[in-house]
Amino acid sequence: MLPYLLGLLTLLVSTLTYAHPVIYKGGTMIASQNMEMFSDNQINYSFHQKWATGLNLWRFTRENEETTQFGLVRLNHLLKRWNNDDSQANIYISTGAGVAESNFNMKGTKAGYLGGVEGDWETRTLFTSLKFYQFSAPKLVDVSITQARIGLSPFEADFDKLQSWVMLQAMYMPQVERNVIVTPLLRFFYNNVLWEMGSSLRGEWFLNFMVHI
Amino acid sequence: MKKILLVLLLMSGNAFAEEISVKVQGMVCSMCAQGIKKKFSAIKEVKTIDVNLDQKLVSISTEEGRNIDDETIKKIITEAGYNVANIERK
Repeated sequence: MLPYLLGLLTLLVSTLTYAHPVIYKGGTMIASQNMEMFSDNQINYSFHQKWATGLNLWRFTRENEETTQFGLVRLNHLLKRWNNDDSQANIYISTGAGVAESNFNMKGTKAGYLGGVEGDWETRTLFTSLKFYQFSAPKLVDVSITQARIGLSPFEADFDKLQSWVMLQAMYMPQVERNVIVTPLLRFFYNNVLWEMGSSLRGEWFLNFMVHI
Repeated sequence: MKKILLVLLLMSGNAFAEEISVKVQGMVCSMCAQGIKKKFSAIKEVKTIDVNLDQKLVSISTEEGRNIDDETIKKIITEAGYNVANIERK
């Protein structure tokens, strides 16, 4: 039943987040990032403009079909924000705890933890970000993921108009054989909905979705 | 009679709506700024709210006879994740 619910959630909200893990006070962010080898689904509620908490379902599959998945309760913190006239920059930190299940090197289910940091700088036409997350289940599995992005928007869209971006994402996961994935993608957002689609240089599909409620 | 006229005069003065322009720093992403519109739209004093990313302006029209103080405006903008640079009233 759980896989079906997760699948439904993925279809409905399909992202990880090149979304800010903390949004406006009282706002909820639902996000899902999906690629062939991993999916990351989150729901986070910002109870303060610098703090959010929520749930994170993270699944990672290696080339040989070995799978690791984490179900976590997350706490996200906006450590620092620079609001300038024509740009904004942010540093976030995240932690989480929950359950991990894996059959990578060892098979089993244990307590799982998450630690991460991410930063971004953006204007209305330029975007850069860098993030590092470590998923750990002691004596079971450790998985890390490093992602970097650079993006360009061809025009400055008005507040209530469709915004388009061309982006390049590089992802490094040392636990897999092909540990670097470079993915050109398109990002669109309109009002409170964001969606992204792309394909890695090796032809792996990439699909994101996010909504702020 | 003078008292009645004075009361009527004061009442008519209070009936004016207010146009407020708020200069906001950091407002570069329309999706992220949706919180500003959502928060202002939720308060009864606000008639219309407009966000202009080009000018970095949030324009608020109040209902007739109602106004919003600067502290409330700053609180809403701050809770949306931005900084208020300036508030102008017409």
